[in-house]
Amino acid sequence: MPATMAKSRAAFKKKADHVEQEGPEEPSENGFVRESGDQEEESERSDVVGSSEDEGSSGEGEIDGEDDEEIHQSAEESDSSEDEVAPRNTIGEVPLEWYKDEEHIGYDITGKKIRKQARKDKIDSFLAGVDDSKNWRKIYDEYNDEEVELTKEEIRIIRRLLKGRTPHAEVDPYAPYVDWFDWEDKGHPLSNAPEPKRRFIPSKWEQKKVVQYVRAIRKGLIKFDKPKEEPRFYLLWGDDSSVAENKRHGLSYIPAPKPKLAGHEESYNPSIEYIPTQEEINSYQLMYEEDRPKFIPRRYESLRNVPAYENALKEGFDRCLDLYLCPRTRKKRINIDPESLKPKLPSKKDLKPYPLRCYLEYRGHSGPVNSISIEVSGQWIASGSTDGTVRLWEVETGRCLRVWDVGEAVQHLAWNPLPELPILAVSAGHKVHLLNTGLGDAEEKMRIKELLHVEEVLTDDAGNSVSAVSWIKHEKHDGITLEHLKTVSTVEWHRKGDYFTTIMPSGDSRAVSIHQLSKKHTANPIKKLRAPAVSAVFHPTRPFFFVSTKKNVRVYDLSKNKLIKKLEPGLREVSSIAIHPGGDNVIVGSKEGKMCWFDMDLSSQPYKRLPAHPKDMTNVAFHRSYPLFASCSDDCTAYVFHGMVYSDLNQNPLIVPLEILRGHTSSNGRGVLDCKFHPRQPWLFTAGADSVIKLYCH
Amino acid sequence: MERGMDASGGSTEASRQIRVRFTTKLPSPLRLPTTSLAVPSNLSRMGLSEIVNHLLKNMDSEYQFQPFDFLVDGELIRMPLEQFLLAKGISAEKVLEMEYIKAVAPRKEEDPCLHDDWVSAVDGSNTSFILTGCYDGLARIWKGGAVCTHILEGHGGAITSASVINRKGVESENSLYVATGSKDRSLRLWKFDAAEHVEHPLRIRAYKILQEHTSSVQSISSAPSGDMVCSGSWDCSIKLWEVKASEAEGDAVAIKKRKLRSDAAEHEESQLEGTATSTLVGHAQCVSSVVWPELQTIYSASWDHSIRQWDVQTGNETWNMVCGKALNCLDVGGESSALVVAGGSDPVLRIWDPRKPGTLAPVFQFSSHSSWITACKWHTRSWFHLLSASYDGKLMLWDLRTAWPLATIDSHKDKVLCADWWKSDSVISGGADSKLFICSGIQI
Repeated sequence: MPATMAKSRAAFKKKADHVEQEGPEEPSENGFVRESGDQEEESERSDVVGSSEDEGSSGEGEIDGEDDEEIHQSAEESDSSEDEVAPRNTIGEVPLEWYKDEEHIGYDITGKKIRKQARKDKIDSFLAGVDDSKNWRKIYDEYNDEEVELTKEEIRIIRRLLKGRTPHAEVDPYAPYVDWFDWEDKGHPLSNAPEPKRRFIPSKWEQKKVVQYVRAIRKGLIKFDKPKEEPRFYLLWGDDSSVAENKRHGLSYIPAPKPKLAGHEESYNPSIEYIPTQEEINSYQLMYEEDRPKFIPRRYESLRNVPAYENALKEGFDRCLDLYLCPRTRKKRINIDPESLKPKLPSKKDLKPYPLRCYLEYRGHSGPVNSISIEVSGQWIASGSTDGTVRLWEVETGRCLRVWDVGEAVQHLAWNPLPELPILAVSAGHKVHLLNTGLGDAEEKMRIKELLHVEEVLTDDAGNSVSAVSWIKHEKHDGITLEHLKTVSTVEWHRKGDYFTTIMPSGDSRAVSIHQLSKKHTANPIKKLRAPAVSAVFHPTRPFFFVSTKKNVRVYDLSKNKLIKKLEPGLREVSSIAIHPGGDNVIVGSKEGKMCWFDMDLSSQPYKRLPAHPKDMTNVAFHRSYPLFASCSDDCTAYVFHGMVYSDLNQNPLIVPLEILRGHTSSNGRGVLDCKFHPRQPWLFTAGADSVIKLYCH
Repeated sequence: MERGMDASGGSTEASRQIRVRFTTKLPSPLRLPTTSLAVPSNLSRMGLSEIVNHLLKNMDSEYQFQPFDFLVDGELIRMPLEQFLLAKGISAEKVLEMEYIKAVAPRKEEDPCLHDDWVSAVDGSNTSFILTGCYDGLARIWKGGAVCTHILEGHGGAITSASVINRKGVESENSLYVATGSKDRSLRLWKFDAAEHVEHPLRIRAYKILQEHTSSVQSISSAPSGDMVCSGSWDCSIKLWEVKASEAEGDAVAIKKRKLRSDAAEHEESQLEGTATSTLVGHAQCVSSVVWPELQTIYSASWDHSIRQWDVQTGNETWNMVCGKALNCLDVGGESSALVVAGGSDPVLRIWDPRKPGTLAPVFQFSSHSSWITACKWHTRSWFHLLSASYDGKLMLWDLRTAWPLATIDSHKDKVLCADWWKSDSVISGGADSKLFICSGIQI
């Protein structure tokens, strides 16, 4: 039956088409609100409704197109259903015109052609139809090429369908409504039960899960991708090529530089002002190759005279070379301002005061002034010269107060550091003189006189004990003379004013001697020095003793009498040494014009090497209270530096070169021989080979 | 045609005129009618002075030419008028009120008084004589600025400072008091009779020796009342001393024979030793200059870069200012005797106003010298004029109303060590060339 149903439906489709054209279109809806749902079901229902309404109407085919289609669809669907028998023909749903001229209508399931039945002619069929009472129920099935006779049942179904009713009459569309949700004490549509508590309480399980996630996030087990930030602004009219360049990896595209537009000078006949003169052309030769102008304008009478481009061949070749040898990397050029590489130094203004200008000169010596020394109070300055005199000057006015004739060229001199003992120690030749300057008041003068009194016995004693030094009373000036065996180069006082040290550079094991003024005693505590000694200084606060030899600086502890440190300046020949008043920093000057700053706490290597002077450095000096140090040299200059030493041990000393002081003139190849700071003012005294002492003030 | 236009334009440029009215406070023979004149704008002081002189000559045929100085809005003209107006922002359209005063410049230089050594101290506070101190340890009295009448001997070292004590009570000519400070750590007080007439310089000895300083005395100054002297020294202290030759006080101790070399100790007079009445302590370095302008205040300058004001009664410091340079000289004067002028180890002469609160910036700075300044002195009567001496061998006269020196005196061949006003129209100065120069004829 289903198979026949399917056939009949297909055939019916045809018939319905006919019917449709006959009858007027009648609205099948009767205010029934269509709801979304299954279409097929709906259509069926609407059919049912329609049929129920137009019951008994004689019209055979009032089916609107829509319904027709749906039926057709349902027919198709039914084709695929399992319970239907496949049609005889297997050509599928192809237009039947394709087989119109063929002798077969298609193929059966085994693949054999199904032949068309011999067609009866119209008259015969008509006659057969007249005879046969059932003819009206017959339908020709084009697809299978056969005649199908519909049963009465099927006809009935069709009729019902056409009327829009349910296909089967037994279906009651208006069955009484069964209220399934009906119970006894129904006051509300659904349950009236109170809301269970769990609806209000946050779920424990969820909470556990959330905590788990939170912990995971905190631990970093779960990571969120950061939301990609879209660039808020972009170049609307930006160059696409540059964008492409940015995104490209690997070998990047470098756009060729835009060529400069040709100007007037590139004309074949430019105006005269564009033509460089011969001088200018010559000056191009002095320029660097890169800086030279690429094009030199020239004039031609006419375009005809313009020669061929002379570099054409060369440039072509270069271009080929470029393409062939082009490095496939971008050449990165670093543009660094050389100024920015300089260390940041505080400005000189902030480091004031420091000596700047020469205001006073002390003239009187007739030979190069080898050494100067300033009295502790800063009122007097003593100077020793190669003319064999020691002079005492008043700092304030530049007046020479006193002259001692020592007889030999004075090498070095030093004031006693005690203000109440204005004694000068002067080294000249083999002798060291202790001169009483007579500056103190009456009481002090008496004391000094006593101190400088040497008994003749003592000298005998010294002679007996084969000492290198003998203490003799100075005949001419009231003082003491210490006779040494060799030339004495340096005299330095201990800070307490009782001890002083002398250096005999060629004295070998007796090179360094320490003398005690009060006991008139001499000792040679340091026996071994590898190199000739140059200078010796006492530590300003502790019982240390610095001896500089030509190669290095040795630091001795005098209380334990042993070597505790050796500073290696790495210079060719050490010429001078000075100790910071704090005692932890030492500067060493060398014959090659270099200066080394040692931080005793850091290492035995210099903290800083300052290449200062072009010639021999003759002396270095620290200021007692201001953060200043200076060096002087045979190039007739003295350099002043700012040398701040911080009490904070973590901070390295700050060294800033401040000023070059000129003014001395050279004499016999020697320039400035000594420099000393004023003990209280930021002033620098320099002694020159031109026999002048200069005072530079701030 | 064009050239002619050019020429005329140029000439108008050159002869731009400024209308000027000359006024003056000078007495009548030097007065001009108060009519305004048109003067070329490129004139400077010289040209203006010439104009005024010619005008005066027209009025009075016996008139002698003399230089004038011109004041506009309290400022002396020291450049072409046009430039001056431009610099001061004064409109050239209006009639310019211009006051003329006599130009301050030395007109006469007298013969130098020769010394044996550097002249290190000079005092011209007495109009009849000049007191000088010398490096040979002698102080000298030069009567009338020409003849040495007295030699004050006794110091064992160079005299650094000398001061005439103007005693109010004793006005007579016969007994004048003088104080000197020396590098031998002592101050000496002298008494002499200026009236007595002598053929040869009279050698006199001090009546009182004040020895308490432990280092050389650098500067002394006497109180305006004349009975006290203060001294600044290298031992960083300032000491006050009584002047009185008070035998009554009982500390009259005949002094022992001094020194080995004081051979001239035969005529030993009774010399008194005095003790300091009080000591002002506060400076950290050499007190290079002290000034006692008022009865109760002492100003001091020091090498520790500070200027301090002391109250005499309490001995306390009342005002203190740090200037950054070691100071050599100090003076107080000027406007209501309150301005402090000081010079030191740089070529700049600075003037402070201690009445100005909260600022340490100098009100005036004069920097025409080229070396250390050794002396600076206010004019006793004028509020504007002062004098400075420097190691560059120059003396300069200054007016507060202009930044340029009024006059430069460079008669010294070496450093100038001391300078002072004398008789309010002369400048006296001593220097390292052992000469005392007197420049007179300064009309202020």
